[in-house]
Amino acid sequence: MPMMTAEQYEESLRHLNMVVHMFGKRVENLVDNPIIRPSMKAVAKTYELAHLPEHEDIMTARSHITGKKINRFTHIHQSIGDLVKKSKMGRLLGRETGCCFQRCVGMDALNALSIVTFNIDEKYGTEYYRRFLKYLEYVQENDLTCDGAMTDPKGDRSLPPHRQPDPDQYVHVVEERKQGIVVRGAKAHQTGAVNSHEVIVMPTIAMREEDKDYAISFALPSDAEGIIYIMGRQSCDTRKLEGDTIDRGNVLFGGHEALVVFDNVFVPWERVFMYKESDFAGQLVENFAAYHRQSYACKVGVGDVLIGAAQTVAEYNGVAKASHVKDKTVEMNHLNETLYCGCIACASEGHKEPSGTYNVNILLANVHKHNVTRFPFEIARLAQDIAGGLMVTMPSDKDLRSPETGKWLEKYLKANSDIPTENRMRILRLIENITLGTAAVGYLTESMHGAGSPQAQRIMISRRENMQEKQRAARKLCGIKES
Amino acid sequence: MKLRVGIKYCGGCNPEYDRVAIVEHIRQSLKDKIEIVWAESEDVDLILSVNGCSTACADLKSFENLKIHTITSMEDSNKFIKRTRRN
Repeated sequence: MPMMTAEQYEESLRHLNMVVHMFGKRVENLVDNPIIRPSMKAVAKTYELAHLPEHEDIMTARSHITGKKINRFTHIHQSIGDLVKKSKMGRLLGRETGCCFQRCVGMDALNALSIVTFNIDEKYGTEYYRRFLKYLEYVQENDLTCDGAMTDPKGDRSLPPHRQPDPDQYVHVVEERKQGIVVRGAKAHQTGAVNSHEVIVMPTIAMREEDKDYAISFALPSDAEGIIYIMGRQSCDTRKLEGDTIDRGNVLFGGHEALVVFDNVFVPWERVFMYKESDFAGQLVENFAAYHRQSYACKVGVGDVLIGAAQTVAEYNGVAKASHVKDKTVEMNHLNETLYCGCIACASEGHKEPSGTYNVNILLANVHKHNVTRFPFEIARLAQDIAGGLMVTMPSDKDLRSPETGKWLEKYLKANSDIPTENRMRILRLIENITLGTAAVGYLTESMHGAGSPQAQRIMISRRENMQEKQRAARKLCGIKES
Repeated sequence: MKLRVGIKYCGGCNPEYDRVAIVEHIRQSLKDKIEIVWAESEDVDLILSVNGCSTACADLKSFENLKIHTITSMEDSNKFIKRTRRN
């Protein structure tokens, strides 16, 4: 089954036996849970679009190991064109779902490992790359969704992993057996973890020899014994428990995050891709982060939705022709397309790694993500400006349906007489959803901290800024002689 | 005998018009002249590359030996209809 349909994906999740807790209770049926299901539907979109002729050109690729047509989310980039299509795929899916579709992180983990396992083998004569290719073929053949798990809880940030009072603040090996290793620790903020078939674990920071027990990378089935998922809360999340209500804003899709605990989990050697090679931990982090910073192309797609919603509510309110409203939509588009420039540029300026995998331009990927930590906030501010205060003072869907209050809402929430009041409420709820509801987790705070907080990008920019060449050009133009 | 036209879309990341609707429009407008099939079908006479914008990034590597006509706008599709009607 090289490419699953959306329906096959949903069915495949029903066969997993994951230990998931939410609101203090174990969740038995994940797929049909009203809070989790919209996020599952967002991942399912990545399967659905791959089967549509009008999207397959960017949603699919040819496997470099089997030659089969596969979902791009399981592909190892083989060209600049592949990298560009990845950015375009992010925008497409962001726009089609209006939220985080969760599947990019696994793709980024696979591509980073395809580079680093090869490089470790080159230095140490290990066999990680062979193991990795075997695992990759399994992922591609079964069209799996993988959670890419990097962020450890980190405990006291001033201390390295081996000096933490609680050694489990970073995932580490606690036992070595003939058949594999036993690991313990946790990964935080795991987007889409509960919708994944596999979890790929990587170190979260560069490490030294003293931290070698923490310099490990491996993959596990998401329902492996000892893995526990504790669902994160999102603003307005329980609106999803209120049934098919317009108050959800996005009535089709959503995202989710979870704290993933590894409570003495066994990993067979065939699924271990880094084991105590502490000098390669930083390389894995850097490559994964660069790919994942490119992946914030998705925010351009969500931005498309928000801009479209702002323009729609402006038309509903009868203010679309006001010059200041037009200027604000131009500004929103300017910011959004600037983000698009970054994710296309880092792909177009990519390069081939020794393993054959194509990697993004790391400087430009960091610049792109750094813009993402800022621009969505301004786009959201402008959308709220255009939407007006009703977005947050509007009564509920139930009040609209109530025989006692519905007539008043129909009367007093009406703007343009040609537009049903319900439609005006729906578009306002969507703006609320993206800018301060469940989807704001993805569009705003994830834009800030996902794939690394702003300072992480500034560090990378400072490392890659090529200051010498800038100084040489400046000195030459003003006549300073080179000594 | 109808011309067999194989449709190859771009990925549709940010299309400026409804590509699927345009193909349906072409199908209806030329139903006595052409048969629309998927690009990978056998015995295709012409590949119609339907792109959402002027970047025209549809991957045509597999069709290098075939005649290709590229559309990047609604205007292009009308030109294609007119030209095919004349032939």
